[in-house]
Amino acid sequence: MIKMNRHLWTIIAIFIGGIAGTLLRYLINLQTMTLLFPLGTVIENLVGSLLLGILTGWVMVKMIPPLLKEGLGVGFCGGFTTMSTLAADSVLLAGELSMLYSGLYLLISLVGGVTLALFGMIMGQKIAKGKLKEGEGV
Amino acid sequence: MSILYVALGGGTGAICRYLLGLWIKTKTKQRFIPTAMLYVNVLGSFGLGLFFGMIYNEVPFMVYEDPLFLLIGIGFFGAFTTFSTFSIEASALLQKQKWTGLVQYVGLSIGGSLAAFLIGMFLFRL
Repeated sequence: MIKMNRHLWTIIAIFIGGIAGTLLRYLINLQTMTLLFPLGTVIENLVGSLLLGILTGWVMVKMIPPLLKEGLGVGFCGGFTTMSTLAADSVLLAGELSMLYSGLYLLISLVGGVTLALFGMIMGQKIAKGKLKEGEGV
Repeated sequence: MSILYVALGGGTGAICRYLLGLWIKTKTKQRFIPTAMLYVNVLGSFGLGLFFGMIYNEVPFMVYEDPLFLLIGIGFFGAFTTFSTFSIEASALLQKQKWTGLVQYVGLSIGGSLAAFLIGMFLFRL
């Protein structure tokens, strides 16, 4: 087996995951870019929070290969969601529509993201436990 | 070609987030709130503001044909900053019922990123 620095493998996994997450975010943005309200970013940040929640819950119960965990978590979910665009969107909304829309956008992102992350963690643990039982039954 | 710019910026941004996060964790003490991604998000929002201010003089809208916007805006800073880790860390503080920490973390992350973005954007307009 090629003995490569584990750190380098981690970086490659994060690179691949980051590309996949960013591309998916870009494709969703293309579908929603004509809307002044940044629906695309809302979808990405909420779905990404749910996915990272599921992954986090899963690894609480079951081991997964570290490279897969880092590629999916740090790479994909990290690259799929974004804070800088959230900041830019809020400024754009405040200028083009009103502060009310800006506040609403931040509130939906914040409450939705935290709620879905929590829900995801519970779901991830349940899924991992369910699989565990199947494995034991054999 | 567009996809290539987005991919290159995004992959690089994700790696930079990871490496800077690791470095911050070695440099900072264990605090009341998780700080690594907080710093990364504030720094990345500042960077995006700086980029928008320098190139567009405003928050650009519908510029998905511009390679620089795809590489730097959507790609690099989009992937450098993250929202999913923020949600997880905030929900962990919520679960532990660390209310002060939760308010601090959410306020500093969202407020700090917004402020940093605005400072970055107006820095070159003065």
